Amino acid sequence: MKKMLIVTAVALLAFGMLFQTAIAVPPHPGARPLKVAVVVPASATDQGWNQMGADGVRVLQDKWHLTVEVAENQGYGDIKPVLRDLARKGFDLIIAHASGYQTMAPEVSAERDVRVSIVENPDAIKRGLVSNYEGEAQKGAYLAGVLAAKMTRRNVVGVVTSAEVPDWNRMTVGFMEGVHSVNPKIKLLYNVIGEAAYEDAAGGKRNTEAQIAAGADVIFGMGDGASFGIMKACEENKARDGGKVWFIDVIGDKSGIDSKKILLGSVLWRFDVIYEMMLIDIYAGRFGGDYRQTLENGGIELALYNEIPQDAMNALKQAREGIVSGRINVSNMPGTKEMRDYKKRLFR
Amino acid sequence: MWFLRMLFSEPFFVVLLGGTLTASTPIILAAIGENFVESGGVLNLGLEGMMLLGAFCSFIAALLTENIYIGLLAGMGAGVILGIFFGFLVIHLRINQIVAGLGVEIFVIGLTSLLHRVLFGSEFPVVADITAKTPIPFLSTVPYINSIFNQHVVTYISWALLPIAWWVLYKTNFGLNVRAVGENPVAADAHGVNVYRTRYMTLIFEGVLAGLGGAFLSICDLAFFVFHMTQGRGFIAIAIVMLAKWNPSKLFYGAFLFGVCHSLTFGLQILGLDVPREFILMLPYVAVILLLCILARNTKLPGAFCLPYERE
Repeated sequence: MKKMLIVTAVALLAFGMLFQTAIAVPPHPGARPLKVAVVVPASATDQGWNQMGADGVRVLQDKWHLTVEVAENQGYGDIKPVLRDLARKGFDLIIAHASGYQTMAPEVSAERDVRVSIVENPDAIKRGLVSNYEGEAQKGAYLAGVLAAKMTRRNVVGVVTSAEVPDWNRMTVGFMEGVHSVNPKIKLLYNVIGEAAYEDAAGGKRNTEAQIAAGADVIFGMGDGASFGIMKACEENKARDGGKVWFIDVIGDKSGIDSKKILLGSVLWRFDVIYEMMLIDIYAGRFGGDYRQTLENGGIELALYNEIPQDAMNALKQAREGIVSGRINVSNMPGTKEMRDYKKRLFR
Repeated sequence: MWFLRMLFSEPFFVVLLGGTLTASTPIILAAIGENFVESGGVLNLGLEGMMLLGAFCSFIAALLTENIYIGLLAGMGAGVILGIFFGFLVIHLRINQIVAGLGVEIFVIGLTSLLHRVLFGSEFPVVADITAKTPIPFLSTVPYINSIFNQHVVTYISWALLPIAWWVLYKTNFGLNVRAVGENPVAADAHGVNVYRTRYMTLIFEGVLAGLGGAFLSICDLAFFVFHMTQGRGFIAIAIVMLAKWNPSKLFYGAFLFGVCHSLTFGLQILGLDVPREFILMLPYVAVILLLCILARNTKLPGAFCLPYERE
């Protein structure tokens, strides 16, 4: 009898431990499908920031059995009503995919007790409710700078950007450092299309044409919808030496519309990498962190298109290894003023 | 003065001048149309929406037919439909013109974005090889000014329309009717002018030109449609109409000034002048506001401006 009691007690203890473990281990995602919404300011077909943000969730949809809603074209104004509506619909995670939403989303999160992810506001992180995510895109842009410096024939490269926001500033600095690391004598032209000219494709074209006229033969464009105009200018115009004007894009992949074969590369941002980390943390009960897209985790990469000379490929390989090993330190400068001052110092 | 040397170096100057004229084309076209509408006493804040719908429809038509002229016609047709719709709202239903105009603009922004999404999903189609310019023989090879004569055919049309619009508005019976309806619709009606029909005709005319302006953006200057690609050009056109005091012959100066200031925003950036970038970027808008303050201060608005008319 005593023996039976001991066996029963041990069995109960073992079962209890097993049960406890079963609680601690996240359940299979299929057992409780999450509802995830992503809110983007412009069209989710812009092959840039908005599309990559929306596609990042869609990529995970089947794997994680997600219910996904994409709220696009929400603009840069007050999106609290949209966020409240999504909270009311019972979404488990709302990804507020614009730096302009970084203060409104935490407010709605506190008000409606809903998980949100915001861009570039780590100060607002709150355990269980608010996560922050940012890309170390400056490292990808550094590689783009190395590529541009290797491909320029006249030693003049241009940067055209639709705004001076933290991500664009970081990439500008990374690009400048990459160019400078190869050849400090290269001249760098820098144009801002407008204060928030993300969709001003015609403005992007005008600015790029002016840079080409001033001698640039490689253009690094950051613009969402405006980047189509930047690319168009590179397609339509010849460089001062009569050769091609190369274009390096950011965030998305425009190789499908590169009929003139002028697209050299793109600093791709893969948001699915960090979104998946968020989902894991939701199941593990530790949501509320700071997530980074890096070269190391594959969140940032420089995609290459068309024919890149071996010399440039070797330089890119070395630069990438240098960044990953820590031998090359790429500056992280989100601020506009510090970026401008740095540019003046670097390219006197 | 190195920056002056750079500014007036031929390749750079040619691009700035050419860019100025290209950038001002849709604004000139929209402004001519709005000039007629406002002279007839109606304010159409939905002008931006007309341009955007023109840009979208012309892009779709050009994409399907690979013919730029069919695209331009589609853009004009879309503008006309929206003009008639706006006319129905403000002429027949007598809805507040400002509210209706803004409503139309917001509606079109949403509609075009939705349709683009429905039609193309996550793809981004481009109209290939139909955006060629039309160089004028000999003149398009003259140094420094060649870009004036190497523009798209729509740009030449916009220049030709300026004197024609002035002639129609000030030298024809139709123009007289438009101005009479804008000044005093009751008196015009008493003299046998059909106020409703005249206002509808100005809106249809505006629809043609605003649609053409939008079409120029999407299939002449560029080769694709981007969400809200008009970027406030319709509102700039409205401001320029007021600057020109409803005189089509002066519209070119306003549009050209805006274009020059716009070109300077990127020209000055490339020259690397030590001027705050924020100041450079707001230059075109500051110029328009300043000129509005100076030139439009004593402007006499059309007597029945923005007022609905109801026949007794």
